[in-house]
Amino acid sequence: MDKRPKIAAIATIYHKYSHTQHIVDRFLEGYGWNSQHHYPPMDLVSLYVEQVKDNDLSSDRLERFPTMKGYPTIAEALTLGGKELAVDGVLLIGEHGEYPSNDKGQRLYPRYEHYMQIVEVFDRSGRGVPVFNDKHLSWNWDWAREMYDLSQSMDFAFMAGSSLPVTWRTPSIDMPLGTTVSEAVCVGYGGVDSYDFHALETLQCMVERRKGGESGVKWLQAYRGDAFWNAHHSKLWSKELFEAALCRSHTLTPSRPGFNNPFPTIDEMKEIVNDPIAYQYEHNDGLKSTMILMNGLVQDFNFAAYIGSHNDVLSTQMYLPMPPARTTLANFFSPLVNNIEQMFLTGKATYPVERTLLTTGLVAAGVDSLHDGGNLQNTPHLDIVYQSTEESTYWRT
Amino acid sequence: MKRIAVVTTIYRYLTHAQHFADRFLVGYPKEGKWHRPNMKVVSMFVDQKPEGDQSQDRAREFGFTVYPTIAETLRCGGDKIAVDAVLLIGEHGEYPHNEMSQVLYPRYEFFKECVKVFEEDERAVPIFNDKHLSYSFEKAKEMVDDAHRLNFGLLAGSSLPVTWRLPDVDLPLGCELEDALMVGVGGSDPMDYHALEAMQCMVERRKGGETGVAAVQLIDGDEVWKSGKEGRWSMELLEAAFSRSDTPCGLTDEDGRTQDMIANGEIYRLVDNPSAYFIEYNDGFKATLLMLNGAVRDYCVAVKLKDEPVPVSTQFFLTPTPNVTYSACLVSKIEELFETGDAPYPAERTLLVSGTLESCLMSRHQGHVRLETPHLNVKYRPPAESQHAQR
Repeated sequence: MDKRPKIAAIATIYHKYSHTQHIVDRFLEGYGWNSQHHYPPMDLVSLYVEQVKDNDLSSDRLERFPTMKGYPTIAEALTLGGKELAVDGVLLIGEHGEYPSNDKGQRLYPRYEHYMQIVEVFDRSGRGVPVFNDKHLSWNWDWAREMYDLSQSMDFAFMAGSSLPVTWRTPSIDMPLGTTVSEAVCVGYGGVDSYDFHALETLQCMVERRKGGESGVKWLQAYRGDAFWNAHHSKLWSKELFEAALCRSHTLTPSRPGFNNPFPTIDEMKEIVNDPIAYQYEHNDGLKSTMILMNGLVQDFNFAAYIGSHNDVLSTQMYLPMPPARTTLANFFSPLVNNIEQMFLTGKATYPVERTLLTTGLVAAGVDSLHDGGNLQNTPHLDIVYQSTEESTYWRT
Repeated sequence: MKRIAVVTTIYRYLTHAQHFADRFLVGYPKEGKWHRPNMKVVSMFVDQKPEGDQSQDRAREFGFTVYPTIAETLRCGGDKIAVDAVLLIGEHGEYPHNEMSQVLYPRYEFFKECVKVFEEDERAVPIFNDKHLSYSFEKAKEMVDDAHRLNFGLLAGSSLPVTWRLPDVDLPLGCELEDALMVGVGGSDPMDYHALEAMQCMVERRKGGETGVAAVQLIDGDEVWKSGKEGRWSMELLEAAFSRSDTPCGLTDEDGRTQDMIANGEIYRLVDNPSAYFIEYNDGFKATLLMLNGAVRDYCVAVKLKDEPVPVSTQFFLTPTPNVTYSACLVSKIEELFETGDAPYPAERTLLVSGTLESCLMSRHQGHVRLETPHLNVKYRPPAESQHAQR
């Protein structure tokens, strides 16, 4: 591409520490990258923000960056007020803002609705451009699938997901490509239909590198409260992997007063964690993965798996420098934006959107299982087969 | 099972003694496992026991004795040395300051009492000394000389050289270095020490190894910016170091934005009293520490290698309180010393940094003059293998 790409940002809301602020600011203000303050070689020319409230930052950003214009509709943001598509890439950030929840507790962010408006402009212009969708595709599986299918049929680059797969790791390791994986666990924190997605992406970005690649998921079952502890005691998931993941945490809640970093006993964990949650699922090739949310015990995302012929434990933390407690910048957005930039420059996603299609379906299945009293959910629709990129895509330079 | 004596100034929650000694009592995370050292704390000396003292509680729970003197601690109340290693932690507690604002922690005095026991009982055991050896180079030198004379392993220093790095990089051993710049924050003399040692663990890997420090100068205030504009330290390296920071202040605090603090001038507004520590080495290499309170809250380094267009930069990752798992990284090195008798990296690093810091503070005290430092003729070779957390 011989000219600087023009980018449109479609957002639900733009306030301090919203995903829009983290992502769009990096395009406008640049960010620390590889020993420089890096400015993306592209221009963010248009902005659509659905909700403008007292804490709004979009007016400040529009004023300080006059090359970016605000538009009242998504279509106009993509056409820059004209008739046809006039941008070379689209950021779709449907996270944060006031939206209703359904009876299953899912926040009904309008990612699908916004996406469909974007695609409508593509359709009428006879061409599509790369789209990045922040977090999972939609709370609704059918809609998520439709989003994916449209990107395929209209043949535009589509990338999505969480920062977890691309952020720093301590230690800085990846799953060896093509190794056998017999079981995987992620221990993280946060809520259902929000951070469960991050934990699932953490798992998936690792296990998709296993021998044969991703084969899809045949069922999922959720465990909560006593059912969680019963499952834990019945060794439904490996205690060794669970503990290995905890041993990668930098934020283990001290289980005894006066000690800053003891390892909690099971009884202490039960005291600390009021509402433990697990989603366990079996992939079509037989691998079992378990996502565990231990609110109160940890505030980070830790991965562990048995790999290779000797079932060696591989473990790491996907590190989030999270403001405001630990940092001022949510710099895990820097590698995410860097990957998005690559897509906008090359027209190719740097890692497969099928990962996020699968994790989108896993979140929905997890929510359904919890809503269904922890019953097993068959997931024939998650027959999503794909291969990982050969090269690692996490932050290591 | 090795028997460990703990000799410390104070043992309260979140003091260095609690961080380090507790890990020998309850274990710590290491390479993805909860590791319990095959060692036992058998005795402890605690100089100050104000409210909140935990030493008696720990002694009861973990079955060791708190003795009133260091000699009794090392001899476990008997008449011969009865431990296999000493964990010496002279950090925290109420101690006076000198006119250069150095806290006069009694590390040298504690160490000499250990050495006296070693000599009287004709058996010396490894010592880990937390942080710098002493506020005084002369005393620090004597400590290192004692270790060589009596042939016991001595490890010392900060957690920064051994913690995780973001990104996980080290300098290639024997590389040709053109320039180095470290950004640190916090008070003097505790935190500038950490920053100097973090920088030292990088630059000691340059071609020819460490040659010692020929001269230092510490300047404060607007002179720091002036010296940067005049090229005495590199703005390019400052940008590189900032590119690794997760904690820019000012506008980022206000609305979360990323910012180029040099280009937008925020750095000049945010830092009330910058300090620059200029270090000239015997082989002609020069390095700079900038203490930039108000600009950022983390520790980042940037280094210019010959023939490499892009500087190498990284953040020394100080993991969150209260776990401070970076101290687990250091405890694994201490355990290695105690287990093998050999320090995984030379105490000369800490000796040189102890003396460099003292001379920098002397430069400030004497009106920011450049001081020649022939006494800092400390030569050593770094370990070939990187020692920071990688697994």
